[in-house]
Amino acid sequence: MNKNKWIVGLCLLPMLALADQPVGFVKTVSGEASVTSEGKAVTAEVGTPVFAGSVLRTGRQAAMGVTFKDETVMSFGPNTELTVSEYLYAPGQGKLRLGSKLTKGSLNYVSGVIAKLKPDAVTLETPTGTIGVRGTQFLVKVEE
Amino acid sequence: MHASVKFLLIGLSTATLLGACASKSYVVLLDSPDGSTGKVVVHGSKGEQVIERAGYGATLDGAAPAREIAGEQIRQDFGPAMAARPMIPERYQLYFDSGGTRLTAASQALLPKVVEAAARRPAVDVSIIGHTDTVGRPDENEALALKRAQAVAELMRSKGLQFHALSVESHGERNLLIKTADEVAEPKNRRVEISLR
Repeated sequence: MNKNKWIVGLCLLPMLALADQPVGFVKTVSGEASVTSEGKAVTAEVGTPVFAGSVLRTGRQAAMGVTFKDETVMSFGPNTELTVSEYLYAPGQGKLRLGSKLTKGSLNYVSGVIAKLKPDAVTLETPTGTIGVRGTQFLVKVEE
Repeated sequence: MHASVKFLLIGLSTATLLGACASKSYVVLLDSPDGSTGKVVVHGSKGEQVIERAGYGATLDGAAPAREIAGEQIRQDFGPAMAARPMIPERYQLYFDSGGTRLTAASQALLPKVVEAAARRPAVDVSIIGHTDTVGRPDENEALALKRAQAVAELMRSKGLQFHALSVESHGERNLLIKTADEVAEPKNRRVEISLR
């Protein structure tokens, strides 16, 4: 758990560096789960970083939970695949966006600060429809 | 004959509705962890539905209005996802005397509790965000808010804060808790927010 330490002084970094910062971390995991960032898959463990663009996957009988910087909390049941398509969280500059895509499986979603400040900036895509989030907790199941 | 046709229709529609949610993709609204209920909007190929009641759900194609989903079905479809939910994040506000980086006595007393709360979280990810009121120049306030955040970070580390990730940021006077005009001394705006995740 201590092998990766992330210390960030956002205000001291050039804006370009923001894209490389984790937007969340894995907080719970059971069974086989992975986080794929820039095409590279790593086995998910408590503390594994999640980035904008990461793909989160759980295997059979697996589950995983992730907490994002804006306090959005997502957890996944077995055989699930979710992509963090877009993530922007800079409330001081009014830059807010959380777009994700659930292609299969089950999800428990607790919305965070982005949904509170700018509800239209939060969307969850699925193969059959898009969900708009107005500050709440919900469950989604996507059958393949 | 009339009655039996009606019965048949009701029988069919019930079966379709049950079948829809037993096998298809759907969303269910729950109460938020803070006890409030928000809403979700589904835009599907077959329509748009708004769900505003906890325990109600709709298929993701937006074909039909929300209806109550049986608790048994929720447990069956979502038990593992719900059980994997991480601890809900916590947020603390610390306040400062005017113009400097000295915490108010009440906020100073709160610090050990924040450090303890952080220790209870797996791979805790901490943000410490400094703010000022609108007294003074914006660029000076940007710097002051950063100093406040850094002071709090230092204090927390001296009290034994362990973390997986830490960010120390300044929002200067750009993110007021209480909206005021320029040059207004507002104690609630002289703050550092701590988010524990």
